[in-house]
Amino acid sequence: MTVGREGAGPALIEVDNLTVSFGRLRAVEEVSLTVAEGEVCALVGESGCGKSTLAYSLLSMVPPPGVVSSGEVRYRGRSVTRMSRKQLNEFRAADVAIVFQAAMNALNPVLTVGRQVEHILSSHPDAFATAGEGREYFERLLQLVRLPPGGVWGSYESRLSGGMKQRVAIAIAMLLRPSALVLDEPTTALDVLNQRLVIDILRDLHETLGTTIIFVTHDLGLVAEMAERVAVMYAGRLVEVGTVDEIFYGSRRHPYAKALIEAIPSVVRDEALIKSIPGQVPNLLDLPRGCRFGPRCELARPACAEAEPPLVSDRDGHSVACYVANEMLERAVVAP
Amino acid sequence: MTLLSVSDVTHRYPITVSEIPVLNRVNLEVEEGSVVAVVGESGCGKTSLGRVIVGLVRPLEGEVRYEGKDIWDLSKKEHAAYRRAVQVVHQDPYASLNPGLTVEETLKTGLLYHHIVTRRTARSELFRLLESVGLEATPAFLRRYPHQLSGGQRQRLVIARTMGLRPRLVVADEAVSMLDVSMRVAVLDLLLSMRSELNLAYVFISHDFGVVRYFARGGRIVVMFFGVVVEEGPAEQLIRHPRHPYTFLLLDAVPVPDPKVARRRRTEATKVAAERVTGEPSATGCVFSNRCPYAEDKCRVDTPPLVDSGPQHGHRVACWFPDKVPDLQAVLGASAEGRAMPEGAVLSGR
Repeated sequence: MTVGREGAGPALIEVDNLTVSFGRLRAVEEVSLTVAEGEVCALVGESGCGKSTLAYSLLSMVPPPGVVSSGEVRYRGRSVTRMSRKQLNEFRAADVAIVFQAAMNALNPVLTVGRQVEHILSSHPDAFATAGEGREYFERLLQLVRLPPGGVWGSYESRLSGGMKQRVAIAIAMLLRPSALVLDEPTTALDVLNQRLVIDILRDLHETLGTTIIFVTHDLGLVAEMAERVAVMYAGRLVEVGTVDEIFYGSRRHPYAKALIEAIPSVVRDEALIKSIPGQVPNLLDLPRGCRFGPRCELARPACAEAEPPLVSDRDGHSVACYVANEMLERAVVAP
Repeated sequence: MTLLSVSDVTHRYPITVSEIPVLNRVNLEVEEGSVVAVVGESGCGKTSLGRVIVGLVRPLEGEVRYEGKDIWDLSKKEHAAYRRAVQVVHQDPYASLNPGLTVEETLKTGLLYHHIVTRRTARSELFRLLESVGLEATPAFLRRYPHQLSGGQRQRLVIARTMGLRPRLVVADEAVSMLDVSMRVAVLDLLLSMRSELNLAYVFISHDFGVVRYFARGGRIVVMFFGVVVEEGPAEQLIRHPRHPYTFLLLDAVPVPDPKVARRRRTEATKVAAERVTGEPSATGCVFSNRCPYAEDKCRVDTPPLVDSGPQHGHRVACWFPDKVPDLQAVLGASAEGRAMPEGAVLSGR
């Protein structure tokens, strides 16, 4: 089953029943997700839930010894999972680009930013008519990421602050005009002011260039600020997929997604309403029987410990993998 | 009673190219059992202030006093007591644990050094500590190495190591910023429970007002900008009615976990201009004048002093035009009216 929103733009990236294994450990398990063209989609979960592995698999760059043991990822209908090395070199950066976690450490310290851009342009000679045009486009991107155009080209990364480096990394990722940009924890390790700036910049890129954005985060505050659609992962599986409003305000919600939202310390929220999630993320090699969130769930019933709840979608494409939440759905459907 | 005081501390690191000191005539008082949060962006000097408090950095000017005595002028015995009583929890639990030491060795070293336990009584104390921070109190766990622990477990271990020494003041420097959001509240709750149990005082350093609001309730907040204290006051008062434009900027930047508020703010175009986020401090006049949306000519020439402001006693601000700063509620207003969210994610009208 492919979970997606009907009526959105055409599917750009389809994840079809994907399982990624590291030996016996399954970091991503039977995940299906469709990202429509022009969407801003968030992958959310705690450390070790498989969200970064899923993001890497979108570009077929799962680090060894990880392998895609079943399913595939398609980009505009073409299988990314089965692409040759040569095809992948064309595909990455030019179709889907990625900004890694702590991207401020990804710049080469002994080359100026300009030299690094020139390297990319010379290894992708077809991207622009002339190299000069490529450089001009990069200057335009620097404006979009709100960096002074002249000041960065000749700089080494050591002369830039953490927030500036992050923005340079985003501009470099956008250089070959990819249709989609994948970002792994784009705001972690930045202070709140730089976080706010990165949020505004990514919204700008989305609005002015129409770039599809897929970002990985553990911060539901960032999700509320940026995402249109949200996929919540827990212990390798998707537990809820829906629009940002369905995730935050829906009546039928996964208890884990709800708990994640309630755990955010926020300036606007009364401390009495903030609750931590009891227990710990399970060991992926020693999973509880039935629902993986069961042992930490306040709504758990005996039935939850028997079999894994399936991801059930309503008419709008809002999917939840929870027996208790999905009972509401059956009632709603049966009621009239 | 004042446990620790920082008076008129100014510090420059010898390697700094810029003329601007990392700490510029900073004053701070920590009462016994109280919480003081220090808030500011990366590079504002908040970590340097923490290092001055725990005695890792000797400031060029000014004094740090512990129980009324200058910490750089203590007898050997007094110094040992100060070192034990003032502890620090660092930001990065991956860097602050020795990877070659087991949990047992990590916890035991300080306890033995300060003669809190003997080799014979150590075991039971270790189990008690592990239990108090919510870690597994088993012999098998004592044999683990840091790489076998998750980020949250490591930070709990760091906290156990700190609390074992029964400190009176803990400097928590971004103690939860490396943790998953879902783990933060649990670790903050742990620190708060230690506070009531041990009558601890905290200097809580953070850039995130969301976390600060949760931790510093009932305490005080000090806002720093490039080495200068620009505003200080009771926590709730300062958050609801900021008087300095920089405080407002920091408050306004925290992501709000409410998509409706986020969308409304987006349409109102309250975008932070990049130059406000990354601009250098001003060398003349008010340090914030380069980045301040309300700055006037006066601000670029005269340095505003830190003076009492507003109705509540002890709320001080260093700004010539504090009345221009909007209330936080004015920005987040809509969420405060319609309780759209069933869990009601809003400022209560207390």
